[in-house]
Amino acid sequence: MTQLVQALALGLLIGGVYALMASGLALIFGVMRIINIAQGALLILVAMITWWLWRKTGIDPILASVITTPLMFGFGWVLYRFVVSRIRDQSASMSVLLTFGFALVIEGVLNVVAGNRFRSATPSYFEESFRMGGVSLPKTQVYGFIAALVVLAALYLILTRTWTGRAIRATSQNPSGAALVGVGAAGTAALAFALGTATTGVGGSILSVLYPFFPASHYDWISRLLGIVVLGGLGSLPGAMVGALILGLAETLTATYGSLRWSTLVFYLVIMVVLLFRPQGLYGAKLREDAV
Amino acid sequence: MTASSSARSLALSGTRSNNPRRHSRMLSLTALAAVGVMVLAACAAKPSEKAASGTSKPLVVGISLPLTGDFSQPGGEAKRGYEVWQSMVNAKGGVLGRKVELKITDDASNQDTVVADYSKLITQDKVDLVLGTFSSLLNYPASAVAEKNAMVFVEPAGGAPKMFTRGFKNLFFAQPATAPHQADVFVDWIKSLPDAERPKTAAYPSQDDPFAAPVIESMQKQLEALGVKTVYSAVYPADTTNFQTIASQMASKKPDLIAQGAVFEDGVGLIRSLKQLNYSPKMLFQTSAPSNSSQYSDAVGMANTEGVFYTVSWNEKAKTPLNPEFVAAYAKAYAGASPAEDAADAFAAAQILQAATTAVGSVDQSKIRDWLHANTPETILGPLSWDETGAPKGKFLLAQWQSSTVEVVGPADAATTKTVVNPKPGWK
Repeated sequence: MTQLVQALALGLLIGGVYALMASGLALIFGVMRIINIAQGALLILVAMITWWLWRKTGIDPILASVITTPLMFGFGWVLYRFVVSRIRDQSASMSVLLTFGFALVIEGVLNVVAGNRFRSATPSYFEESFRMGGVSLPKTQVYGFIAALVVLAALYLILTRTWTGRAIRATSQNPSGAALVGVGAAGTAALAFALGTATTGVGGSILSVLYPFFPASHYDWISRLLGIVVLGGLGSLPGAMVGALILGLAETLTATYGSLRWSTLVFYLVIMVVLLFRPQGLYGAKLREDAV
Repeated sequence: MTASSSARSLALSGTRSNNPRRHSRMLSLTALAAVGVMVLAACAAKPSEKAASGTSKPLVVGISLPLTGDFSQPGGEAKRGYEVWQSMVNAKGGVLGRKVELKITDDASNQDTVVADYSKLITQDKVDLVLGTFSSLLNYPASAVAEKNAMVFVEPAGGAPKMFTRGFKNLFFAQPATAPHQADVFVDWIKSLPDAERPKTAAYPSQDDPFAAPVIESMQKQLEALGVKTVYSAVYPADTTNFQTIASQMASKKPDLIAQGAVFEDGVGLIRSLKQLNYSPKMLFQTSAPSNSSQYSDAVGMANTEGVFYTVSWNEKAKTPLNPEFVAAYAKAYAGASPAEDAADAFAAAQILQAATTAVGSVDQSKIRDWLHANTPETILGPLSWDETGAPKGKFLLAQWQSSTVEVVGPADAATTKTVVNPKPGWK
């Protein structure tokens, strides 16, 4: 019983962090039909910046997201305005090529500037746990989970309670309709891209504490994140959250009760089965071509 | 975000309207294809050729290394090892009186690219000599290219057992022992303990890696024969990032010894998770992770390294010929850094090739091969010799982290200290 509770708790904690990391990808796809392959590289970039800040100033790595989040928001905005906006009229596959190229550039720059070695932020609490009964919850995972919840809640409030958020959602649901009622498409898209990029500010800082990383680590992360958003339904934020929780639980439960070899594979099996019956993903909308 | 009905009603009714189901499926497929594109493209080559040194007729050594992708970390170290060798050799007039030039290409950790790289180096660029790449995964196909072209292939890594079952004549592994024999020196040490001090139970988690899993597998067999009871044994995939589950399963069985086939992140991840659970085994052995000097101690915390065992092919303090010079030259070239084991192995591979080339007085590949089969060249790892398959006949060193530094504790003739930390102290 303790074993089950432990596995479920760990699965949920990890799933929460995955949800945060995947939310930016879902948001950007939802609004712009852009598959941002660079999201993983951006996470690693932030993890590196966080590590550096932590090393130089001793600031708590998770708190450092107060600095990295606005930084990434600005970075995302500039990136969209000067690079991504040029392929707005192209197909989704074009965005894959562009953003993948960008991921390679980030990896290369990190290799040269930061060096090709493993890093990992180790604040004082990084190896401590909260214990409840026989269950132990690592502090880093708990803090990461809380930070992820805060960001996801903020994202939800922005999208549902502010004019900007409504404009973003309107654009994602029906660009021509949104334009008809006075939403500027270009500005909204840049905002959504910047917002999606800003989520890596917190995601990357959590990553720097939870996992050792090096410049090429982003391949592992982006494949996991793409899996999550495909399972949840491309462009759906609730879908990304459910997908992330399923991944977290699938990993820990398979590792506990099945075989470790299968722990990552099971998630992809779930994706395949879901796509067979719901090609649009769990929460994906069946969109009409003319409405996109 | 689902399309609301009001939003839909705003949309113009469509002459372009496609099957909506197909459309969303298309998007899913595009995203999945994106994963594919990414993985494939991750494997694309980015050649980074070195400029010629300018002498009239340099001796060109062709090498392909994983400078990007999964193995970029050890690949980068191997490159440093080769380059330190090159500058040391050239400072003394080169090999056969010719300046040495390295032609290093990047295979992006990809098996197809490494084959293309060595084929091009040998058949088009017509390099004088080749040296091996990094990891069994890449050396396996690369050594086949060299064998086909009758080029001597001295590899700094690649000790997986299957490397040596193909009957190759030109393959030489520049480390003291192959993977299944890496753990022998640890088992020998356990044998040397009085019965009361030997572990009673052991857990064996290992990454599914050709250089980690066979070490642990062979150790498990040998320790079971000594009467050590196995309470946990599992192989996890290379992309595993969460170790809490593995750690909590092991902790519930309270093994005396945990022996992990750890490449790097997994070794760090497991220690962190064990510490979060507050379970500290009496003995902890990890294959490669602890050999990453400061990267390892930074990641797990210096205090937590105390007493961790690992086996290693090379030791920084060894008094082997040229070793102090190598360590000094490396520190000079790379801002005071200590060489990683991978750099030392690459240096040793180059030393072996240099010794054979100098001894036969030419780059005649069959003469070099025969010389290597008949002789025992000196390297910074100690003297090395090979059986007819190219598998080395030596033993690894048993190393242990003690008071923030690494000491060799076995075998006795190579030990740098007589002290062995046993049992391992609890986590700090």
